[in-house]
Amino acid sequence: MDFTERSTRVYRTKQLYTKEELELRESRCVHEQPAFCAAVCPLKLDAREFARLCSEGDFASARAMLERITPFPLILACGCEAPCASACRLGELPGGEGLDFPALERAAMRLGAPRSGRGLLKFRKKKSAAVFGAELFTLAAAAELARKSYPTTFFVAESCAEELISRCAPFLPEADVLAEAERLCGMDMDVRYSCDLSPELFASLSGNYDLLCVSRDFLLELDASAEPDPVTLLCPSPGVLSRPSGERGVLGALYDARRAGVSADRMAQGMDPATLRGEEGPVVSRLHTDLSSAVPSRRTGEPRGGYDSAAARAEASRCIQCECVECLRGCAYLRHYGKFPRILTREIYNNAGIIMGDHMMNKALNSCALCGQCSVVCPNGYDMAEICLSARENMVATGKMSLAVHEFALYDQIFSNTEGFLARPQPGHDRCRYLFFPGCQAAAIAPEVVARAYSDLCARLEGGVAIMLGCCGAISRWAGRTELSAETDSQLRSALDELGNPEIIAACPTCAVTLGGLSPGGVRGIWDVLLELGLPASASHAGASASLHDACGARGDARTQGAVREIVRRLGFELTENGWSGDRAPCCGYGGLVSYANPEVASELARSCLDGPPDRPQITYCMACRDRLAREGAQSVHILELVYGVQAAQTPGISEKRRNRLLLKQTLLRDIWGEDLKNEPLGFRLDITGEARALMEQRMILDTDVAAVMRAYRESGEAVLDADSGLLSARLRLGNVTFWVKFTEDSEGYTVHRVYSHRMTVETR
Amino acid sequence: MPDDKNYYEIDPQGKLSCRKCGVPLVKGDAVFGYLDNAFPVQLPVCPKCGFVYVPEELAMGKVLSVEKVLEDK
Repeated sequence: MDFTERSTRVYRTKQLYTKEELELRESRCVHEQPAFCAAVCPLKLDAREFARLCSEGDFASARAMLERITPFPLILACGCEAPCASACRLGELPGGEGLDFPALERAAMRLGAPRSGRGLLKFRKKKSAAVFGAELFTLAAAAELARKSYPTTFFVAESCAEELISRCAPFLPEADVLAEAERLCGMDMDVRYSCDLSPELFASLSGNYDLLCVSRDFLLELDASAEPDPVTLLCPSPGVLSRPSGERGVLGALYDARRAGVSADRMAQGMDPATLRGEEGPVVSRLHTDLSSAVPSRRTGEPRGGYDSAAARAEASRCIQCECVECLRGCAYLRHYGKFPRILTREIYNNAGIIMGDHMMNKALNSCALCGQCSVVCPNGYDMAEICLSARENMVATGKMSLAVHEFALYDQIFSNTEGFLARPQPGHDRCRYLFFPGCQAAAIAPEVVARAYSDLCARLEGGVAIMLGCCGAISRWAGRTELSAETDSQLRSALDELGNPEIIAACPTCAVTLGGLSPGGVRGIWDVLLELGLPASASHAGASASLHDACGARGDARTQGAVREIVRRLGFELTENGWSGDRAPCCGYGGLVSYANPEVASELARSCLDGPPDRPQITYCMACRDRLAREGAQSVHILELVYGVQAAQTPGISEKRRNRLLLKQTLLRDIWGEDLKNEPLGFRLDITGEARALMEQRMILDTDVAAVMRAYRESGEAVLDADSGLLSARLRLGNVTFWVKFTEDSEGYTVHRVYSHRMTVETR
Repeated sequence: MPDDKNYYEIDPQGKLSCRKCGVPLVKGDAVFGYLDNAFPVQLPVCPKCGFVYVPEELAMGKVLSVEKVLEDK
C-alpha cells in the first residue's frame, strides 16, 4: 500500500461527536467543578480562593471578596452558619477539623484595608423601590436594591441606624454594630426612621414606587394568608417581595435578599421574575480531592479579639486547595500542553470541524501516547486516548491529516510486513501448536534475543512452534489509518491460517493486545510460557536491586504484570516500586507514535518513566520502552535480555533497526530452514560521515534512501558542484519526499557529508 | 504570495555548476508545489539540462516551515 499526499483544496469535514457525545465526554472531567466549600455557599463565596488569599496575607483582597457577595460583610462574618466549614474535606480526616471560615472572614474584615475610591460611576435607574419593616432580609434587600442603583427608600420603625442594625443582627458585637451602621449610612439609600408602619402607610405610599419589598411581619399584617413564591419571593396579591416562612438563619436571609434583588431586576424590565435566573444557591460539587497525602490538623483557636495576621495565615494555610489534577500528575503530555482533558477535548472537537484554515490542534492530538493512563488515574475514567484516536481517524477519513507526521512509521510497518516479514512453521511440522511473535521492535533492537528465544521455545515446547516476524499493525492503528490496519489484519490472519491457527506467544504486550482477535488459537505472553517451563539455563541471576517499568500494552492486564514480576524475582532482582507502576505507569513515548509527531513530548514522557538512580537497572518488558528509556540515559534492559543472557546494542539508529530486522530474517532462514538469501551488493563504496549519520537520524533519512540517491546519480550523472566546498549534491524523489545527498567522490565510491530532504516538489517553469 | 519572491539569495559568483553539463547554474524560474498549492520562486537552475538546485538552508528553512504550515491546513 502506498500513501499519496492529500490536497488542502478539498473541503470536507465529518462531525467528530454529536453534541450529546461531546458533553458526555466533557462531563467526566471535574477539574473545573467548584471546591466543596464554595459549592455549598448560597452566596457563592469562592471559599477556596478566599482561604488562599488569607494564607498569603492578602486580607484586602479577601475582604473585597466578602464585600462583593453581600452588602453587610460583618453581619455575614459574625452570623453565618458556615456550611463551608462543615463541607471542608479536612474535617473528613481522622482527628482533622474543617477550616474555620467565619473566623477567617472576621479576620479579613478587621485586617484587610477597605477598598479606596468610589468605584464605577453608576446611573440611577428610573424604577424606584420601597422597603418596609426591619429584619435582616429587608435590611439586606434594601441594600441590594440600592447597590443595583434603584432609588430606594427604606421605611423602618427604629429611630436610628445603630438601632436598626442591632434589631436586624442582634448577635453583632457593639463595635461591629457601629461599623455596619456607618456602612448603612454611606449607602445611596433613603432610610426613613421612626415610621408608623401600618397597612394604611403602605396603601398611601405603595403607588409611588415600582418595586416593593416588605418584612415577613409586615407582610402578615398586610395579608395574613400571603405566602411568597419560594423561588422568586414574589407575593402576587399585595405585589411585594418578601421572605418565605420558616427560620432560614443569617445566611438564608442574605441569600433571600440576593434572590429578591434578581426578581426585582426581572420585574423592573417587565419580565416574569421566574425567567432566566441562572444557577442560584448551593450546588453539589463532583470535584475529586485526593486526601491520601493530606495531614489531619486542628483549628487555630480564635482569641476573644479575633485572629492576628499570623494566626489567620496559619489557619488559612491549613487549606489544601482542593482540586483534581490526577491526570496531569501522571501524564507528561497533558502537563506539556497545560490543559485539562475537558478543554483539550473541546479544542480537538472544534479542530475536526474546521473546513478551511489552520488546524491548530493537529500537533496536540498527535502527541497523545494513546496509552490509557488517564483513564486509570482519573476518578471518572476520562479517556483521552479514545478521543485523540477517534480524532486522528476522523481527520484521516476527511483528508485533513498530514501524511508527513506518520509516514515514516507507516512505511516502517509496511517494511516489517513485506521485506522484513517471515512466517514459517517449525521444520518437521506442517501445522504448529504455537507461534512465536516477537514484535517489530524486538527484532529491530535485539535480534539475537529473538533468535535465542525462538530456539528455546522450539526446544522446550511440544507440537511445533512457528515464527512470525512482522508488525502487529499497532502503528497504523495509532496513526488512525484504518485501511492499512485492515490490510495488515487480513495479511496476518491468512498467514496464521496457513500455519494452522496456532496459539500466539507474543513477546510484546502491545502486540498481544493488537493480535488478540486475530487468531482463533488465542494469544499469551512469553512470560506466561517461561513461568510454566521455568527459566532457561542462560538466565542471568544478577541479584541486584532494580525498578520495573510497566508497559502501556499491559495496562489492566494483571496477569502479565504479575508474571513479569515473578520472572524478575526468579532472576534474583529486588524490585522497588513507586506509585506510578502497574496500571498507573506512564508511557515511554513510543505509544501513539508520539516520537514521530512530537519528539519533545516523547522525550518528556520517557523522562517521566525514569525511576531511581541512573545506574540502577530499569527492567522493561516492551522493547520500545527499553529503547526509549535508554535514550534518556536509563540503564534499561528488556526482561528477555536477562532471561537469555544477551545484551543488545544500547540505542540502534533508524537504519540499523531496519537492517537488524532483515538480518534476523536472513539468519533464521539460513540457520533453521537452510535458505540463503543473497543480499544485492551495492556495487560501490558508500561511506557516511558521523555528521551525515547524525543528520540522517534527526531528519529520518535511511541508508537505503541515501543509496538510492547515489545509484540514481551513477545512472544519470546529475549533480551540482559547489566550488567553495567541493561537494557534489545529487537528489532523488522517492515517494513523497525528495532526498538530497552532499558527497565527494573518488574512483571507488562516495563519501556522504550531509543529507537533507523536502516534501515539496520543484519544477522549472 | 507575490510572484517571484526570493527566499534564497542566489550566489552571484557562479560557484555552483552542473556536474553533468559542466556549465554554471543561473538564476531560473521554478515552482514549488505541495498539497495542491504552488509557489513560484527563483532558484539556481542549469541552463542546459534544467536541473533545479534546492540548497540545504532553503530546504531545511523556509521550505520546511511552509510545509508545516500547509500540513495543518
